Amino acid sequence: MIKSWLMALSLLITLLPWQAHALLTIEITGGSEAALPIAVVPFGNEGFAAPEDISEVIRNDLASSGRFAPLPKGDLISSPHDKSEINFKDWRLLRSEGLLVGKVSSVDGETYQVQFQLFDVYKSQQLIGKRYQVPASGLRRLAHQISDLIYQTLTGEVGVFSTRLAFVSVVNTPAGQKRYALQVSDADGANPRSVLQSKQPILSPSWSPDGERLSYVSFENGKAEVFVQEMRSGRRDSVAAFKGLNSAPSWSPDGKKLALTLSKAGNPEIYVLELASGKLSRVTHNSQAIDTEAVWMPNGRELLFTSDRGGRPQIYKVSADGGRASRVTFEGRYNASADISADGRFMTMVHGLNGKYYIAVQDLDSGAVQVLTETGQDESPSFAPNSRNILYATEQNGKGILAAVSVDGRIHQRLGESGSDVREPAWSPIRK
Amino acid sequence: MNKSLIENIIAGSYALILHIGLISLFVMGMESKSEPIAVLPQVDIVKATAISEDSVLAEMVRQQEHEQKQLRAEQDRQEKVEQKLLETQQELARKEREYLEQQEQAKIQQQQRELVAKQEQDKIQQLEQQRKVEEERKQQAEVDRKVAEQRKQKAEQERLVEEERKQQVAQERRVAEEKKRLAEADRQAEERRKSEAEQAAKLAEEQKRKAEAERLAAEKRQVEEERKAQIAEADRLLQESLANEQREQEVRRVGGVVQQYMSIISQRVTRYWIKPANATKGLQAILRVSLLPGGDVKQVTIVKSSSNAIFDRSAESAVYKAAPFSLPTDPKAMAKFRDFQFSFKPE
Repeated sequence: MIKSWLMALSLLITLLPWQAHALLTIEITGGSEAALPIAVVPFGNEGFAAPEDISEVIRNDLASSGRFAPLPKGDLISSPHDKSEINFKDWRLLRSEGLLVGKVSSVDGETYQVQFQLFDVYKSQQLIGKRYQVPASGLRRLAHQISDLIYQTLTGEVGVFSTRLAFVSVVNTPAGQKRYALQVSDADGANPRSVLQSKQPILSPSWSPDGERLSYVSFENGKAEVFVQEMRSGRRDSVAAFKGLNSAPSWSPDGKKLALTLSKAGNPEIYVLELASGKLSRVTHNSQAIDTEAVWMPNGRELLFTSDRGGRPQIYKVSADGGRASRVTFEGRYNASADISADGRFMTMVHGLNGKYYIAVQDLDSGAVQVLTETGQDESPSFAPNSRNILYATEQNGKGILAAVSVDGRIHQRLGESGSDVREPAWSPIRK
Repeated sequence: MNKSLIENIIAGSYALILHIGLISLFVMGMESKSEPIAVLPQVDIVKATAISEDSVLAEMVRQQEHEQKQLRAEQDRQEKVEQKLLETQQELARKEREYLEQQEQAKIQQQQRELVAKQEQDKIQQLEQQRKVEEERKQQAEVDRKVAEQRKQKAEQERLVEEERKQQVAQERRVAEEKKRLAEADRQAEERRKSEAEQAAKLAEEQKRKAEAERLAAEKRQVEEERKAQIAEADRLLQESLANEQREQEVRRVGGVVQQYMSIISQRVTRYWIKPANATKGLQAILRVSLLPGGDVKQVTIVKSSSNAIFDRSAESAVYKAAPFSLPTDPKAMAKFRDFQFSFKPE
């Protein structure tokens, strides 16, 4: 009796160190950077069929971002439309982290009610859920908004599916003439609509920080002039029509100024135009070289621009008030057409290499340059407002197309409809 | 002394002797009266010293008695001599008286006057002579007395010396005896003391021996106990080390199994963890996970949030997606995975 009790005691003492020990901790440091698996269940439809397949738009948005891996439709084991219909255990087997369900029902012929719910499959928890009532014409835009919400909920970052792209399309008429159009599309390139058409070339569209205005260069008057156009009203003003070249407009972060390239003094130089007063101030003074394609740093005090003052085009930085410029790019013989991420961490530019031109990104802190594209005919890079993707123009089958690449170079996507010839893209800011 | 006195007396003229005798009788009668007085103290002295309990002293008394006897014998003799002398004197006086009576009778008349004158003168002369004689006698007596005295003194002195010597001897003997006695006593005392000391020493020795023996015994006992304790301790240590070794082996074994499964689980979770793109370095989420016996997740709690909800959720999802975990069959090793933690910390 006592012996067994003693044995039990000694066993207890033996085991005590185990008990006293800190909990076993397993370190996880790796992890994959794979796209997040998500199940997007086609939304239920009640009443009149909706003119847009909202869940399909969302599915494409999420897939196009590269951050999500929607399950193939064939893998979906059931089609629940609200929580009561979900058996989470089943969805867990598919290893899908998120589950999106929803339904669209027609209120009347023109109005639809849309509701969605996003669930955490493993915790059987709703992460976000909303209900909307929109006209049929607003369904697509609503789908992008829902994509933004899902993106933000699952990644913690701002979604850019509701932003727009501005670009220039060129159409060859049967009469052998070229028609230029300034177009604005959804962020996925879909739903393009022309905001300006011209027989003369249109170049360098630039979004105002509030996304309400576009500035661009139009040759409609026989020479390069800079215009500012309001998106809602369509009203447009020529803001720079000086003698010589008027080009490469770029909005200051506060939306009050434009940086421009003017050659009114004989040589292309960088100027800053105060829109309200029309006051113009010259930034660069280098009559031997071309200074152009200025963009504002997020701090609104400095400009990056392209200059061949060193013999070959390189990116330089200069104070918006003028003064001495400093060289920013040192890698490669050709660096031009810079754009800056909204967070100020990265600069993207066209990087020439062996006679080919690629989109590259440079870490402004370390100076490290990474070439992101492979096509070799890439131009006009423009950062997405979430600083995560870069929109650029490239060529495919002799025609200009739009493409996007993630800032880490991992995710590539083709934007817009095939068949059109597009160039000079600019990613809009997030709609306020 | 007495002899010279007698000779002196014989040598004197009859007349003179008569006168002297008369005077002597007178004087001696006076003197004889004082004689015993002079002797008595001697006896007293002897008697005074005769007090002794000792046999020696008895002997002394005997001697003294003997001396006294002798003295008495001497006195008797002297008295006889004196008696004889007196008798002789009386005879002489009688003859003289006869002669004188014859002569005197004849002459008495004739000489009566002359005698009277002459007697007067003679008487003066005689007186003078008598005085002189008396003086001389006195002197002689004095001398004699002195001599006697001296003799007596000498004898006394000698006696005293002897006495003293004897006393001294006795004293010495006594002293010696006392000394001896004392020495004996001392010896005895010493012996006793010695004996006692010996006894005490013996006792002390015995006690010491005993104490030593006890000490040795105690020491031995202690040594024995220590030895036993050491053996017990060594045994215990051996047992303990064996137990420890077993335990350590067990711990190592279990630890090895645990490590192996930690690695398996880590790989599995890593494979399923889709790190958020904005999972910047420095983010860390600690998740506490309790598993069901089959390896399914019972519960996941975020113990330490990365303060990035997306990051936290990605970690949670990774754990859920990785489940069920394969767990060791060893119960001890398995126990470690009943409740444990994941630390998600991108590098």
